[in-house]
Amino acid sequence: MNRAIINFDQKILDTIHKHSLELLHDTGIRFPNEKALGIFKKHGFRTDGEMVFFEEKDIRKTMEAVPSAFSIKARNPEKSIRIGEDNYVMAPGYGPPFIIEPSGEKRDATMTDVEKFCKLVQTSKYLDFNSSIVVQPNDVPVETAHLDILLATMILTDKPIMGSSVSETAARDSLKLAEIIWDNTDEPVMISLVDSLSPLQYASEMIDSIMVFAQAGQPLIIHSACTLGASGPITVAGSLVISNATTLAGICLANLVNPGTPVVYGLGGTPMEMKTGGYINASPEDAKHIAIVTAMGRYYNIPCRSQGALNESFCLDYQAGMESAVMLTTAALSGVHLSLHACGTYGSMVAMSYEKFIADEDLCGAMKKLMKPVEFTDDAFAMDLIRELGTSGNYLMEMHTMKRCRDEFFIPDLSIRAMHNKWLEMEPRDITQRAGKLLEKRLAEYEKPDIDPDVEKRLVQYVNKRKKV
Amino acid sequence: MAIEDIFEAVLTFNKVAVAEGVKAELDAGTEIDSILNEALIGALDVVGKKFSEGEMFVPEMLQAAKAMKAGLEVLKPYLRSESVASKGTVIIGTVKGDQHDIGKNLVAMMIEGAGFEVVDMGVNVDADRFVKAVSEHNAGVLCLSALLTTTMPAMENAVAVIKKSGLAVKTIIGGAPVTVTFADQVGADGYSDDAPSAVELVRKLMAT
Ligand code: B12
Repeated sequence: MNRAIINFDQKILDTIHKHSLELLHDTGIRFPNEKALGIFKKHGFRTDGEMVFFEEKDIRKTMEAVPSAFSIKARNPEKSIRIGEDNYVMAPGYGPPFIIEPSGEKRDATMTDVEKFCKLVQTSKYLDFNSSIVVQPNDVPVETAHLDILLATMILTDKPIMGSSVSETAARDSLKLAEIIWDNTDEPVMISLVDSLSPLQYASEMIDSIMVFAQAGQPLIIHSACTLGASGPITVAGSLVISNATTLAGICLANLVNPGTPVVYGLGGTPMEMKTGGYINASPEDAKHIAIVTAMGRYYNIPCRSQGALNESFCLDYQAGMESAVMLTTAALSGVHLSLHACGTYGSMVAMSYEKFIADEDLCGAMKKLMKPVEFTDDAFAMDLIRELGTSGNYLMEMHTMKRCRDEFFIPDLSIRAMHNKWLEMEPRDITQRAGKLLEKRLAEYEKPDIDPDVEKRLVQYVNKRKKV
Repeated sequence: MAIEDIFEAVLTFNKVAVAEGVKAELDAGTEIDSILNEALIGALDVVGKKFSEGEMFVPEMLQAAKAMKAGLEVLKPYLRSESVASKGTVIIGTVKGDQHDIGKNLVAMMIEGAGFEVVDMGVNVDADRFVKAVSEHNAGVLCLSALLTTTMPAMENAVAVIKKSGLAVKTIIGGAPVTVTFADQVGADGYSDDAPSAVELVRKLMAT
């Protein structure tokens, strides 16, 4: 019996790939978008109405063109990131329309929340970039919300950004704003998420986003996921093939538009709660998909993504911690390159929580530490020191220990590492309240990163001008 | 076959047995109303109860509904027009700009299972198409689904357009970000947060 969820048999991966090719060839993928259909036809693809069919050679050519790793420039060059290889980057929740308060109350998210999360991302030791919809603000018009979020992220953080893919206009706005910051946007300066629609199709606006970002040479995360038993077969294997075929077709389009477009490969799968028909992200089945996405990513030699610290809870309890840790640990140990939703979400991504965000950062830090290779240098082996001290060694007295004592171990910010009596005396002792205190401190300590005043002015001007029309 | 056998066949998802059972009862001269109410609808009431108690799973419930429908098909030609043959028509769809349909499909299947005619308009449906469908099918209830806060305005608009059209249809709304407060605010006739209570809502609104 093969018990490993991480190391899949090559034969299984071949079969997943083979069945995906069969679907791509026989059933096809639906692209309800004239422009995309035109591109496929121009390149000699077989089409029937909105259905596009793929040959093995098309997919092979695509996957050979996609880079195995790439970099994204940040406004602050020190914070530029590399995606792929041994790197593991993380971004917070993506898309939640609500905030859940410590009282359990659920309320609409606002632009003030967007700004507060930007500040948390900027001061985060572990998050590498903000997501393009860290929350969906309810107090600004829907049509221009992406402009407000992009502007806040660009000014309040100097980490890499995510482009907005909610519409073709939003994608173009993302590029226009980036051009104000960078004279040269030939290299990647953002990454954007495209979700397919399961089964076996894309929504028209997502297809537009693929084409706009690919044309501009900007990286994409192309992700497909079935709800097992609803929008795909109830079995992991069956849903997996649907998602893989759909993602490959999207990557293929990006590469027809602009060969070599950097893409992060994504596929997921979530069971439908068979007793109620609900949606349950945090599950061993979801985690299995994470393991498989990394195996397939290695199979195709392209970077891959996963979900992050997902959970079904609505407060900072055992369930929230347990589920989040299972999901993120699986991602890390499987060798994922990029985790979205790494911090802050509750209830299958439906809401963000500040306290959960703070707690998840500890988890993110622990995962990054876990995945950092153990150091095997001469200084780390410390052979001279071991010989010198022999059996009588008290290493605490040594410079070797002193020099490394601040950085060698992972130090959590929220988790307790105290003796029982200290814990009893702790004020406040409750984890949600302690997270709240850390939150206040973080927001108080936040400093706006340097930005050329002229650039800032032009960003604001662009957004104001666009909001008028 | 007796009434109890049809009842049992619905609960064991046996479409063929349900259809055959109904046929046999008709041939034997059993009262049409009792085939309908005691065997078919009665069985589905039990299904609904078992589902609410967490004893029956969603796919099982849907198969039971399918089996019940197979019996209904056989019975249909014998039903007088005023009886259950036209329990009423329900139009359902996901509003303009929104592509989410898993929840909507579930709601549609369960309403259908409860014996209503359901016309599923799919996703990304604009208000005018809803109006057209409602008048074309003379629908009693319109169900709108939205999963994005960004498409809730489109939902609000659809409710308003339907109201303005003067059609005598009740509009109910749902989807993860939708709340009862929102429903009141936009003047919808009902809201529910899951499929079984959506069915209850439709039953109630159709009865008035
Ligand atoms: C699956 C999913 C998708 C799938 C949809 C596949 C499909 N065919 O439907 C995909 C991946 C395509 C997708 C895309 C997007 N999604 Co989405 N998605 C979800 C997710 C994870 C689950 C939804 C679901 O299926 N639930 C299970 C079903 C059974 O439950 P339900 O829909 O709520 O329905 C039940 C009740 O609400 C009720 N009900 C539903 N309709 C009705 C109608 C009536 C009349 C009644 C009475 C009751 C009722 O009964 C149902 C059964 O019990 C939710 C998160 C969540 N936890 O809800 C996000 C979520 C809704 N999506 C979100 C986002 C942001 C998006 C995208 C914009 C992301 C992107 N960049 O691509 C796009 C938008 C596409 C578009 N234009 O619509 C956000 C919404 C944020 C917001 N602004 O409100 C959410 C909350 C998650 C997140 N944090 O990102 N999504």
